[in-house]
Amino acid sequence: MVSSSSHPSFSSAPLRSPTVQRDSRRAAEGRRRRTGREQTADWKLLRRMSMEGDAPHVVDMTTSEKVVELLNQAALLGTEEKLTMLKQVQELIINKDPSLLDNFLDEMIAFQTDKSMEVRKFVIGFIEEACKRDNELLLRLVANLNMLLRDESVNVVKKAILTLTQLYKVTLQWMVRSKAVTERQEACWDMLTQMKGDVLALLDSENDGVRTHAIKFTESLIISLSPRTSDSDVPKRQDADISLDKIPKDHAYIRYDVLCEEGKSALEQLLRFMVHPAISSINLTTALGSLATLARQRPMFMSQVVQAYETLHANLPPTLAKSQVSSVRKNLKIHLVAVLKHPCSLDFQAQIGTLLLDLGMAQSEITRATPVPREPRKRPRHEQYPEGKKIKMEPALMEDDEDKEEPAAASVSKPSPAPAAQSAIDLTAHFLHPLLNPENVANLVLISMVYLPDVMPASFQATYTPVESAGTDAQIKHLARLMATQMTAAGIGPGLEQSRAREGDSKEGLGEDELSQELLIKRKVPMVHGQAISVVGSYGEKQPAIEVPLVKKLPEPILPSTQTKLPGTTGRKKVFRLADVVQPLLESQIEKLTSTAVKRILNSEKTIAQSGMAHIRVRLLSRLVTQFEGTMKEDVLGFILQDIRGRSDLAFSLLYQEYNAYLSQLPEGLLDGYDHCLYTLLSGLQEKPEQRDGLFTKLVLEAPIITESALDVIRRYCEDESRVYLGMTTLKELIVKRPSRQFQYLHVLLDLSSHEKEKVRTTALAFIKRMYEKDQLRDYIEKFALNYMQLLVHPNPPSLLFGADKDTEVAAPWTEETVRQCLFLYLSLLPLNHRLVHELASVYTEAIADIKRSVLRVIEQPIRGMGMNSPDLLLLVETCPKGAETLVTRCLHILTDKVPPSPELVERVRDLYHKRVPDVRFLIPVINGLEKKEVILALPKLIKLNPIVVKEVFNRLLGTQHSEGSASMSPLTPGELLVSLHNIDSTKCDMKAIIKATNLCYGEKNVYTSEVLAVVMQQLMEQNPLPMLLMRTVIQSLSMYPRLGGFVMNILSRLIGKQVWKHPKVWEGFVKCCQRTKPQSFSVLLQLPATQLTSVFDRCPELRDPLLQHVLSFTPHQQAHIAPSVMNALEACDKPEVKPVETPVERRVEAAPTPAPPVVVETAVPPPAAVKAKTHIVQPMQQTQPDPGTDDPVEEAMDQGGEDMGVQGKPDPTMTQAEVPRPEEAATPPAETTEEEEEEEEEEEEPMETADPEPPEVNRPIGDGDGDGDGDGDGEVEAADGSGAEEAE
Amino acid sequence: MPSHPLRVAVVCSSNQNRSMEAHNILSKRGFDVRSFGTGSHVKLPGPAPDKPNVYDFKTSYEQMYNDLVRKDKELYTQNGILHMLDRNKRIKTRPERFQSCKDHFDLVITCEERVYDQVLEDLSSREQETLQSVHVINVDIQDNHEEATLGAFLICELCQCIQHTDDMENEIDELLQEFEDKSNRPFLHTVCFY
Repeated sequence: MVSSSSHPSFSSAPLRSPTVQRDSRRAAEGRRRRTGREQTADWKLLRRMSMEGDAPHVVDMTTSEKVVELLNQAALLGTEEKLTMLKQVQELIINKDPSLLDNFLDEMIAFQTDKSMEVRKFVIGFIEEACKRDNELLLRLVANLNMLLRDESVNVVKKAILTLTQLYKVTLQWMVRSKAVTERQEACWDMLTQMKGDVLALLDSENDGVRTHAIKFTESLIISLSPRTSDSDVPKRQDADISLDKIPKDHAYIRYDVLCEEGKSALEQLLRFMVHPAISSINLTTALGSLATLARQRPMFMSQVVQAYETLHANLPPTLAKSQVSSVRKNLKIHLVAVLKHPCSLDFQAQIGTLLLDLGMAQSEITRATPVPREPRKRPRHEQYPEGKKIKMEPALMEDDEDKEEPAAASVSKPSPAPAAQSAIDLTAHFLHPLLNPENVANLVLISMVYLPDVMPASFQATYTPVESAGTDAQIKHLARLMATQMTAAGIGPGLEQSRAREGDSKEGLGEDELSQELLIKRKVPMVHGQAISVVGSYGEKQPAIEVPLVKKLPEPILPSTQTKLPGTTGRKKVFRLADVVQPLLESQIEKLTSTAVKRILNSEKTIAQSGMAHIRVRLLSRLVTQFEGTMKEDVLGFILQDIRGRSDLAFSLLYQEYNAYLSQLPEGLLDGYDHCLYTLLSGLQEKPEQRDGLFTKLVLEAPIITESALDVIRRYCEDESRVYLGMTTLKELIVKRPSRQFQYLHVLLDLSSHEKEKVRTTALAFIKRMYEKDQLRDYIEKFALNYMQLLVHPNPPSLLFGADKDTEVAAPWTEETVRQCLFLYLSLLPLNHRLVHELASVYTEAIADIKRSVLRVIEQPIRGMGMNSPDLLLLVETCPKGAETLVTRCLHILTDKVPPSPELVERVRDLYHKRVPDVRFLIPVINGLEKKEVILALPKLIKLNPIVVKEVFNRLLGTQHSEGSASMSPLTPGELLVSLHNIDSTKCDMKAIIKATNLCYGEKNVYTSEVLAVVMQQLMEQNPLPMLLMRTVIQSLSMYPRLGGFVMNILSRLIGKQVWKHPKVWEGFVKCCQRTKPQSFSVLLQLPATQLTSVFDRCPELRDPLLQHVLSFTPHQQAHIAPSVMNALEACDKPEVKPVETPVERRVEAAPTPAPPVVVETAVPPPAAVKAKTHIVQPMQQTQPDPGTDDPVEEAMDQGGEDMGVQGKPDPTMTQAEVPRPEEAATPPAETTEEEEEEEEEEEEPMETADPEPPEVNRPIGDGDGDGDGDGDGEVEAADGSGAEEAE
Repeated sequence: MPSHPLRVAVVCSSNQNRSMEAHNILSKRGFDVRSFGTGSHVKLPGPAPDKPNVYDFKTSYEQMYNDLVRKDKELYTQNGILHMLDRNKRIKTRPERFQSCKDHFDLVITCEERVYDQVLEDLSSREQETLQSVHVINVDIQDNHEEATLGAFLICELCQCIQHTDDMENEIDELLQEFEDKSNRPFLHTVCFY
């Protein structure tokens, strides 16, 4: 592109070449061109010609035309062709016709903003070539180069550095050549100096390639800014060579000493760069090469170079890979050989040789590479280049080798330089050498063993060569030197101290020679210590005055009008400097970063596991998380809980770490973190579905401390029915294995023993029972159990039982449930420790009735478990605290329920009964253990009890209680029992009860077989006086066993012999019996004396006719046997006169007992006792009628009997005495009763509410269940019924 | 990615087998490639290990081919030498010696360490002028046909990767590390300057 304005025309029709354009172009060119006028004319002409003809115009064009053509084309083409065009242009205007250079400079430079970096690179190359061709162009182009040095493309920057490397030298030469320096030249130089500083700074670039180029630039700079000496290797091409020695010390603008310092500072930078621990392998290689070049071209630096090599060799950067180490070592070797070959290496041959040996080079090769000393020269290997003041006039163009001798001679007197660092190493090495005896070395080896890394570093592996000459002096020296190098690098060692000390000494005491040396040392020391002399600062300080104008004067880049780029946007990049980049993060950012970092570690689980470093990850995570606050703890915990089985190691690690954190700040440390961690883990496990791996247990048992909240979780775990066993096992382990807090854990377990869930409760109880065997826990458990039981004395259940923790009472009444809750633990302990039973007794006495009932219900199992031989139980029976009678009774019942009572028990009960509490009910359970006499004695009382109790008594006595019954144990046979019942004194016990009791006997048909009854009747009949109930029994037996009829007839006859009529009651029965057994009984009746027979007929008139008929049916002979009086009696109905005869008999009969007539009289005002005494003979039989609730077979049988017997009485109730009280009785019981009746009633129905001194409640459990309750059908009754049924069983 | 194709030199000892194999493949893949030997002579296997056929670098592949055909066509057909020479002559006329070439490259790949050393020695002995960098990489390849083929593909892949880097000098270190891991052989690598 020629210019921006012309561009459109060219693009549309490049070949038309309008005149306007050409004119404007010419005008522009005319300003600059020196010799272009004719050419322009020619061009114009040719142009026109070419337009007219078809001939290929390019061929015939002038150079200038060609350039224009090419430039125009280049502007339109793609990168490739553009470059081709531009290269042609460059060739044309630089080499073919340099006169055109100035003309087309702007056009060429305009391409520096091209999009393609290749084009930009080309422009840089063009600048270089142009400036080399015409140094004056530097004035204009250096600024453009400066711009390109900041290009965004690293390739452009690199190219710019390369060009700068060249142009710096070119400019320096040009400056030196120019005798009169113009202001623009000065500005140009200043800019170049500034660019030089920029490039040196690029040593810190973040781009490897840029750094590499910066190194090469530095190398070139150092060489330029240091004097060439006689023994310098000299590049063969001399054209661009410039060195410090060619710079006149009186130059108008350039300061020799400044440049000298700049050169040294650049070397320093390079050396410092090289020891950077993270240097890349390419940079290192480059730097090694640069040092070799330096050493060869500037032998004065050789000692520093060799020392740098030594240091590097001993400290290869750890960042290098194995193959890189090999590469670097190979380079090192090559460069060392190159240095060694230099004649000035003489002083360093030993060191270089050692290094090369270490690098694996054969001694022979080393020797071959070692130059033969050029002897005759006595002077030092290289000259000390002079300090600023020395003026050396040297023509700029005198560059012959021969000339070099002269400047060298000028500094002949300088002593051989032993730079401070070098000597420091030497000194230290000397110091070390004698110390390296076998013992010390062995110790050193042993000590350093500790610090050896786990894995052999790549650099070591590569550098290791077996020590061939171990122990020789040479090897020891080498070792000493190696160590000295390291020590000096680390800033320690006597050598360094000495040189420092020397430095610190006042210089007055030194000789002049020494002083000069001292100056030298002083100057170099900073290099060793890394105290940089700022490149910029070094001249900035010295030229403060011109700095301001300098700004103005700085060359401005040629900026094409199309240029849009700003220098500021160029891609100059700096190496990472922490301070520049870092700014404090926001709190939230920090949090986010840390948590994401932790998450990454978390999520790398698998990868790390594969690498086998999982344990390190776990440790790392747990440490991290415990150290910092924030959400990551939650993250980690959540992560663990996702797969707690797989991540248990992390869980444990975290837990321990938390505990550790707590311990480390102990006095005021808080357990919060630990607690939270443990709690979360345990809850997580607890909430997870069933696991069988025991991780929960493991976690609990391995946790250093169980906190309160953790204990809560354990408790919850135990409450889970599916895991209760596991949970309690854990708890048990805790109790056993953590004695210091075992009661705390035990308490939880104890608490659970009254849990509402049965499974939890029973498991807890089972565990507690086991614990109870341990002495140290026993007291606590016992106390707990008793305390709990003690709650029963409260009138209302404490809220404790409802889960509240305050010991307050709530209004709710005691229920079966709550009562049980208080007793579970106690009851399960009871069989283990019988002594506890006394506590129960004392609580029992204080408790309210409801509780007592519940207690009685629940104690069965444990009491049975204790057994009747338990001394404590016996003691309880013996002592039987006041109020605990029912309890004791209940115990007795439980004990004897299935097994016969032991003699001891019987003994205690008997004692109790006789001496303390004469309640016959005590005897019932042990009744079979009593003696016959005792039983008989107790019978009257027993049968007065509630019918069901009586039934139970009889069951026991008759052995009908259970299948495995203890009938044989019974002190009474069934017959004896029945007989005894008959013999009960009716003054001690009312007939009604006795009849009921006998009825019970009859109910047991299995026991009371006809034989038994026959025997009983036999016995009774033989007694004197006859038992009152004899005939009732006979009738009963007969109705049960009709085949006993013959036997009964026999009995009846014998009764006649015993004058049965003298016993009114029996007589009455006798008559009834006869009546029921007619006609069988006719023969018996006929045996009666006539009087009595009449009496019979009086009582039972309907007998007379059948009997008469019977007699009449007799044969006359038989009739003859019948006494006439009898016959009279038989016919008495026809003979009224018989009656008077009978009356006295009747009177006599009735007089004896005397009850009957008064009964009739007294019906209006019935004295209860009399009613009892007289009416009950019949009454019981009829009593069954108003009691429809009973459907007992026994009762049925009685019903029948009663009906039979009452057939006659019913239709005419006034007929018999017995029936007289009946209406009264039938009417009274429900409504108005006499006192006694009431008492009776009460005893039957609700005995315990009375003021009965005897155990009030006992009737409940024992004898309750008379379903005719008066309507208090609440829960208690029902429950009581239930338990009553149980007992009946 | 550098817009200009990499200028690659592949160097082995005699510029016959390994460098030519790589030369062949690389040029097919469009690289600006040249091949060289570093030995003082071109040596080809002879009838016995101690009797190699020795030529100087001026001898063309064609001439060598004819020479060997004349000497023992059977043997040199069987051991593949003739085939190799036939291929070589279709790539270029004659072997070239690296030390004699003054052209500049971006990348020099050597096929064995000895060659690498020689290349380095040569490059560092040259006078530095432009300070343009050249990366020298050694890929050890045994001198037989199979290894040469395998090695050529490795070199080709390496070159392609380097060609595709945005900034070769900045990325080559890492790239080589990856390649080392991948190919399981160490590479020597250095940079020299023209």
